Amino acid sequence: MNKNSLQFSVMITIVALAAMLAGAWLAEIYREHDSRAMLLPDQVITVFPAPKPLMPFALTDHKNRKFDLASLQGKWSFLFFGFTHCPDICPTTLAVLARARDNIARNAPGAEDIQFVFVSVDPNRDTASKLRHYVDYFDTTFLGVTGDNAQIGNLAGQLGAAYQVAITPGLENYPVYHTAAVFLLDPRARYHAVFTPPHDAEVLSRRFKVVRQLAAGNAT
Amino acid sequence: MRGPHPVFVFVLLALTLVPAASEEAGVSVRDAWIRETPPGMTMMAGYMELRNNTARPQVLVAASSSGFGSVMIHHTLVKDGMARMAHASQIELAPNASLIFAPGGFHLMLMHPKRTLRAGDPVVIKLEFRGGPVLPVAFEVRK
Repeated sequence: MNKNSLQFSVMITIVALAAMLAGAWLAEIYREHDSRAMLLPDQVITVFPAPKPLMPFALTDHKNRKFDLASLQGKWSFLFFGFTHCPDICPTTLAVLARARDNIARNAPGAEDIQFVFVSVDPNRDTASKLRHYVDYFDTTFLGVTGDNAQIGNLAGQLGAAYQVAITPGLENYPVYHTAAVFLLDPRARYHAVFTPPHDAEVLSRRFKVVRQLAAGNAT
Repeated sequence: MRGPHPVFVFVLLALTLVPAASEEAGVSVRDAWIRETPPGMTMMAGYMELRNNTARPQVLVAASSSGFGSVMIHHTLVKDGMARMAHASQIELAPNASLIFAPGGFHLMLMHPKRTLRAGDPVVIKLEFRGGPVLPVAFEVRK
């Protein structure tokens, strides 16, 4: 093995690695570009052509503040329904949403006009202080809200968010079933779009960027 | 040039993931991790990739850990538009096939951790297969 052939091999290896990186970069560019043409319902997001204005509802957040229709005004809101005793889907989704928020915050126009809301459908176990503890862990800007069953049902019903709490006497870990979709409400408190699971932080933040751009274009 | 150049061989090896696997029970496990949760939560979930290295089915029948009050094999399913957890009494691994426990699918439901687990903590969970073999697996807590 002489020195030249070693140098040649190292060079080929570097070229091969560079080609792989370039390929990955190009694929990313294409995906980014693609997302502009993907506002028709697909596997990731359904954007409604005529966003539905929400009716009044009354919930309470993790700091015991009112969370109602007015809380949605002026901000894009990502809503996820769940419960804190949920070991798989809820922490997975909240971790994805926290990463999506970081992505959105890194690029203009930033995350000033967005909020993430975890709606607990299990008020029996999820008190305000538990919710505070829970959502703070994922992102200190996240809101944890809940209320009585009628008010949770009111908001969930308006979004078509299915859930069922199977409280069983004597059973500590009673099952709670809930949709894993993420609901997007626009700054006029209208049901604007829905993200279908499984969720991915990068896809979610890219799609949101396009939705927000289009909405800004429509408003002017 | 005779045969592949040593540098090529090295690079190929470096690019290949070499799983750190235990081979007992004819089943190897890689990428075993537990999702860190907010402190004080009583429910956690464990994920892993199981591979059956034998030519016959292997059946996972139970899991246990001294680090938790109880461990159950669960499957998150979507029914009527709602995610729900179903208890799986056993899971069969097809011959020479892999089965992935991942968020939104199969997971080990880990109830009542004995202490607060933080990212980086190791936890051993024992997987029991039909016929008796028990495979201790080192899980890592990850954020």
